[in-house]
Amino acid sequence: MTSTFISHELKSFWRSKNTGKNIAVRVVMGLLILYLLGSLLVIGFALDKILEEVYKNQDIVAPFCGILLLYYLFDLLLRLQLQELPTLKVQPYLHLPVKRNTLVKYLSAVSMLSFFNLWPYVLFSFFIFKIIAPDSGLAALAFFVAITGLMVFNNYLALYIKRRSNLNGWIFLAVSAVLILVNAGDFLWHLYSIKDISYSFFGRMMTTPALALIPVALAAVMFYINFLFLKANLYLEDLNANKASSYKNSTDYPLLNRFGSVGDLVANEIKLILRNKRPRSALIMGLFFMLYGLFFYPNPAFKNNEGFKVFVGMFMTGIFIINYGQFMFSWQASHFDGILVSKVKFTDFLKAKYMLFTGVSTVAFILTIPYIYFGWRVVLIHFVMYLWNLGVNTTIILFFANRNHRRIDLSKGASFNWEGVGATQLLISIPLLVTPFVLYAPLKYLVNSNVALGVLAAVGVICIALRPFWIKKLEQDFITKKFKLAEGFRAK
Amino acid sequence: MIEVKDIVKVYAGKAVVNVPQLEIKAGESIGLVGNNGAGKTTLFRMVLDLIRADKGEILSKGEAVAGNEHWKNYTAAYLDEGFLIDYLTPEEYLYFIGGLNGESKANVDDFLTTLAEFFNGEILKRGKYIRDLSKGNQAKVGIAACLLQKPELLMLDEPFANIDPSTQIRLKNILKELSSQRGVTTIVSSHDLNHITDVSDRIILMEKGVIIKDIATSSSTLAELEDYFAVGQSF
Repeated sequence: MTSTFISHELKSFWRSKNTGKNIAVRVVMGLLILYLLGSLLVIGFALDKILEEVYKNQDIVAPFCGILLLYYLFDLLLRLQLQELPTLKVQPYLHLPVKRNTLVKYLSAVSMLSFFNLWPYVLFSFFIFKIIAPDSGLAALAFFVAITGLMVFNNYLALYIKRRSNLNGWIFLAVSAVLILVNAGDFLWHLYSIKDISYSFFGRMMTTPALALIPVALAAVMFYINFLFLKANLYLEDLNANKASSYKNSTDYPLLNRFGSVGDLVANEIKLILRNKRPRSALIMGLFFMLYGLFFYPNPAFKNNEGFKVFVGMFMTGIFIINYGQFMFSWQASHFDGILVSKVKFTDFLKAKYMLFTGVSTVAFILTIPYIYFGWRVVLIHFVMYLWNLGVNTTIILFFANRNHRRIDLSKGASFNWEGVGATQLLISIPLLVTPFVLYAPLKYLVNSNVALGVLAAVGVICIALRPFWIKKLEQDFITKKFKLAEGFRAK
Repeated sequence: MIEVKDIVKVYAGKAVVNVPQLEIKAGESIGLVGNNGAGKTTLFRMVLDLIRADKGEILSKGEAVAGNEHWKNYTAAYLDEGFLIDYLTPEEYLYFIGGLNGESKANVDDFLTTLAEFFNGEILKRGKYIRDLSKGNQAKVGIAACLLQKPELLMLDEPFANIDPSTQIRLKNILKELSSQRGVTTIVSSHDLNHITDVSDRIILMEKGVIIKDIATSSSTLAELEDYFAVGQSF
């Protein structure tokens, strides 16, 4: 049975329209994972050197033992955010003569196939081999057993918390609060030291390797709890992530009513963003990007580098256009047929997109005004890039949207979701990132940066003024592409 | 109303729709029947300009459908859930559709009270997004959105499939009324031969993309269709 499950799993991966076919995506995905793994490998390999550097002339085993528990706390936090629940896939088997135990065991086993479970080995095994093994082979073995135990424990604890919070949203908040309090107790209030606690356990393991059985026991208990919980809750309504639990109100945006059917379309798209997980994360990501400047502006190295500020300004005022816009019109894939046969004019459809971009970018620009702390010129650059985003980047994004025919299932979450990602998203970044500098860089070095900024602003304003023209061009372009778009969006 | 001229659609080397000639007059009520894969939905989609025909053209009121939008002013259709904006509540969606047709919310509300029986209390003010409704209730929203547009041409793809028996009967009455009282042209596909012969005055039977029967409904039509679909029965 298990081998059948595995073969189905492999088929679902390779045959999935979105993950399987696109070679470009696969290559980039592979490179990203390799890069991440490579970076971790380097850290893991040099961990003893790093610790030696930080703790000069001290025993490095003690700090190593100290960071282990910290690592697992951090690991738990990351897992809660990113690890996927292997749940819905069991739906087609529930009614078949397959034993519940088999299904639950399979689900539990599959959840171990997570990249998170590779990290502790990559990070810590070199250190254990290089430093601990020469002293005591038995202790090294104990360390391996212990980090495996904690890894399994974390794996099932994270899944258990996630499953519980699927049934009750407050659990997630409670757990996050506890994790933050645990960290604050150490780093903020200095009530205790996680490092000391970690050392008092792992340090003792050097002399009493049998202690390694404690994490193993913990892991076994956690596995069992998770197993029982899954078995008791193997019902569709529990597995399904988006249940209709609370009363959903109809909302109305009176401000948008004034703009007629364009306003209606914008209102619909705002609802799309707020009521679906993945576009909502795109918006929240954008809010976090408002802090982007804080990483660069205080740094003296960038103080006189205006080119960099142009870049940062473009991202801060235009992150929504880029982050959300790159997947247009895939967001509306599930009801694209409806749009096509409805009386929505495509020009109105485009006008609504421009209006949405303008609105969100304006809010973003206003939010970046406090950066005036770093000088009024910073805000001036933001304003120039705001105009640039509204004039140039919106149109570039919509031009590519006409070429993006990958379906996105709105009900799925954002993390590690590659659905809808294709060559378009890779291609789009080139004009977005390169065009402003093609204008800015030569003018800055040949004339001066005021002129360069002025030209960027002027181009932005001219392009905004030309919007009716762009809309006409985009519509002509759309008419030649709409069948391909509609067909792509229909393909589940 | 609708004129199909020599239309061919090919998927993977196989013609899924091949209709040399078909004319549907204004006010006719057409029942489209045929087994799975007969090409009913594909034909619907071509009439709605959702897919491109490989050959031929479809005219609506004498003008080509492909690349034009004039037909949108008098056509309403519900083929599947892909026509619904599923993250809206039914009210929001219907207001949106109403707004596109220049109807105020009050007008839409007025209209919806006439559908209260059809909705059977399961659609409005239930605090659910369309995506959280059952398939049958989603179909009700889609059909209501069509009726709201007061179309001259109404196209429904298997509307009887997921709805309960009471609603099926109500829908039949609505369709009959539209056609007899208001002269709306209706094109409805269905696998339910009883219902479809009941609401249509002309039946078009498709098989593997080709129209093999095109008959005016009479008292013998149902028996004729049952005969066609009864494969290998000998009693």
